[in-house]
Amino acid sequence: MAPRIARGQEGTGLDQIGEADVEATVRAVLRDILGISVGRVAAFTDDTELFGALPEFDSMAVAGVLTELEDRLGILIDDEDVDGEMLATFGALTRFAAARALH
Amino acid sequence: MIDHYDWPGGREAMLRFGPDTGPVVVMLLPLFEEHNRTRAFAVTICRALAAMSVASLVPDLPGQGESVLATQSATLADWRNAVKSLSEAQGAVRPVFMASMRGGAVADSVAGVCGVWRLSPITGYAVLADLQRAQSIGGEPNLSMSGPDSPPVNLVGNLIGWPLFNELLNDDVLREALAPLRTVRLESDPAPADIKFPGAPLWRRAEPGNDGALAQLLAADIADWVLACGG
Repeated sequence: MAPRIARGQEGTGLDQIGEADVEATVRAVLRDILGISVGRVAAFTDDTELFGALPEFDSMAVAGVLTELEDRLGILIDDEDVDGEMLATFGALTRFAAARALH
Repeated sequence: MIDHYDWPGGREAMLRFGPDTGPVVVMLLPLFEEHNRTRAFAVTICRALAAMSVASLVPDLPGQGESVLATQSATLADWRNAVKSLSEAQGAVRPVFMASMRGGAVADSVAGVCGVWRLSPITGYAVLADLQRAQSIGGEPNLSMSGPDSPPVNLVGNLIGWPLFNELLNDDVLREALAPLRTVRLESDPAPADIKFPGAPLWRRAEPGNDGALAQLLAADIADWVLACGG
């Protein structure tokens, strides 16, 4: 199948996005897709464990989180790059997203 | 109220809300997993519309819900044909509006309706990509189909036959609406829209959910727009 078409890239004003914006977006996506409260998500640190530790973040939720990140950040995530490591902590997921959003 | 409608391929069930006269909104729900996650939400919107005296219908498409057609026999052509039949039958007696959510947009380009309202529309191509992502993230092999002789593929529990697979694969541009179009998105969605509302994308969550506040906002938007279009 042909590569996924990146959505949300035209006229989105994402050219000025910085690391803080990526981190805020990852927090918002986890909140919206996993149904976690604002307060809980705000308390996530670099080391907060995600996949395998958060009951809400199971394999069914991963696809939704990744696709929502793609849409909001205007990036493309290759499913082959998805592994336990980049999902393990909030810091790892943020760095993964930032690497694709900021270049 | 549970009702039915006829199309050349048979008879399908549908939910009916609101008054028997005046404009009617045909709600086309998201497809596959997203349909399950948002059905209660869609019904909440319909009930809110009914409270605003706007009728709505939630049809099963051939191969969905209570349809006697097997899911792997569903085709996009049949979906569009069924929606066309329903719209024409309704259009004979009242103004008809289409309201599609997400992948429901693949079937909402019907001639003769007064308007088309879309919530976060996606193409058939995107629908398929999402299913294949869920499949591969879940550790299953990335399934594709090579041609008409391929057996139906099971994508995270959804049986899809070659005709539908091929139709979705080639549906990579949002179809032009054949009536005035209004596109609505969530505030978190950077894509262009006529208006954006606060709320979480319920269709992306792992489990079905609901959002009463967002349902009210969307119902009000549909109702205002239906009336503005002369419905």
